[in-house]
Amino acid sequence: MITISNLTKKYGDKYALDNISFDVKKGEVLGFLGPNGAGKSTTMNIITGYTAYTDGSVTVDGYDIIENPIEVKKRIGYLPEIPPLYVDMIVWDYLEFVYELKKIKTDDKNKHIQDIVDMVKIDDVKKRKIGNLSKGYRQRVGLAGALIGNPPVLILDEPTVGLDPKQIIEIRNIIKALGQEKTIILSSHILSEISAVCDRVIIINKGKFVAEDTPENLSKKIGNSHRMMFSIAGDREKAEEILNSFDGISNVVCVSSEGDAYNFEFDTTMDAEERKQLFFAFAENSMPILTQKEIETSLEDIFLELTQSAEKEEKKDESDI
Amino acid sequence: MKAIFNREFNSYFTSMLGYVFLTIFLLLTGIMFYMVNIGYMTASMTGFFASVNNVAIFFLPLLTMRLFSEDRKLKTDQLLLTAPISTKEIVLGKFFAAFAVFMTGVVITLIYPVMLAVWGSLPFGETISCYIGFILLCSLILSIGAFMSSVTESQIVAAVATYGVLIFTMLLNSISTYVSNEAVVNILLWLSPLQRFSDFTLGIMSFEPIIYYMSLTGLFLFFTTMVFERRRLR
Repeated sequence: MITISNLTKKYGDKYALDNISFDVKKGEVLGFLGPNGAGKSTTMNIITGYTAYTDGSVTVDGYDIIENPIEVKKRIGYLPEIPPLYVDMIVWDYLEFVYELKKIKTDDKNKHIQDIVDMVKIDDVKKRKIGNLSKGYRQRVGLAGALIGNPPVLILDEPTVGLDPKQIIEIRNIIKALGQEKTIILSSHILSEISAVCDRVIIINKGKFVAEDTPENLSKKIGNSHRMMFSIAGDREKAEEILNSFDGISNVVCVSSEGDAYNFEFDTTMDAEERKQLFFAFAENSMPILTQKEIETSLEDIFLELTQSAEKEEKKDESDI
Repeated sequence: MKAIFNREFNSYFTSMLGYVFLTIFLLLTGIMFYMVNIGYMTASMTGFFASVNNVAIFFLPLLTMRLFSEDRKLKTDQLLLTAPISTKEIVLGKFFAAFAVFMTGVVITLIYPVMLAVWGSLPFGETISCYIGFILLCSLILSIGAFMSSVTESQIVAAVATYGVLIFTMLLNSISTYVSNEAVVNILLWLSPLQRFSDFTLGIMSFEPIIYYMSLTGLFLFFTTMVFERRRLR
């Protein structure tokens, strides 16, 4: 549906995007991940025809953005980072304006707009002035604008930024529902969001491609090591000594203490036999284990690891030269 | 284009801008009408238009200053530029919205020639050509204002830059009297939009000034389109 090849964008001498390529298949929900300034918004602005690019090509549904901008724009609903709202307009009038602007032709304009209003749940504010709405409602009005005309492709730039947790869940559910039938590119730096709604994730950093995979595979990539948290009552140094005496344990840190108990975090690759020994080692020293739990490797960690390792490699390359 | 025109036109009246403009416009033209036509007991509107032209430059930029700058500031240009329409349609839609508000004021001033025709002997040809000249001159001013608005994010800068250009063109006639080189004088006078207007006040409708105004208006609208397009290429 969307093909991006060797996309490069330069601002002066600075590369905002450096040779990015990817495809988005029809009906796929693609997560676009990267720290602030990674080039997410720039890429989205290019796909929607708002910004021009230096080199490469972008096609949507077979149409090139340079040769056939109108055809491309017809197929895309875009919600930029800051929703493009006219604050002096009434919500309904704004949506009517977007409908006319996009030159949509449906049998019943009012029904089409009302369906979208119901979908993003802004029926109670449709007669109000946009300037008087809260951030959450504005975001939803922006999303409604993107949905007008029922475009097959949706591009959403950080749709949940600045919303409260309840609103985030609502918007996320709307996106999930839309993902059933539409091709969506969603950018975010909140990783739980991406893993909740996306089929596939692309990570970029400083305009460069870093990784691409499903959220599950990315978690696997990080390896089999688990990070555990143990709360152990007794002498702190003794506990540390016991933990460090096991080969399968590394990176032991004492993170906090509660009374005479200490909370340790460490990475482990131990099998069942070794874990038994760990239990008995503490039992022999009469140091009860009060709590043990696994700290899940989140997409956050993967993300940090991937972006940092990419940076390290970059530095290494530079020092090689 | 229709969607943009409607939105812009309505926004003049949801904000105070449209009302402020019409109030100033009608107040000033009313005063001019009273001073020139009633005061001197004349049915000829040439004096009226000569005065109105001189003040037009002060209130027309009110209409154009936010035309493009506001979209840029509020990022609503992202909506317009990612919609399946051409930049030309955006620029024309906005320009005609400003033009329509101006024309609303012009239509209301038609009450003056009607009064003159009823209680005096109105020279019809001359009045019609004056009106046409005035509308053409003002559409040029509006297109210059639109262009300035597309260059900046700030309404104030857009308005001040427009005033700068307009006041300079007004002074062209005076400047030309200090220049001895005849060729330079001709160029300066050629550039002066007010100079062109004199033909209309004589009741002459020649092609040259009409084409002059229309082509310059078109040129500035074209520049506006280019600026709007070019910003994407930055």
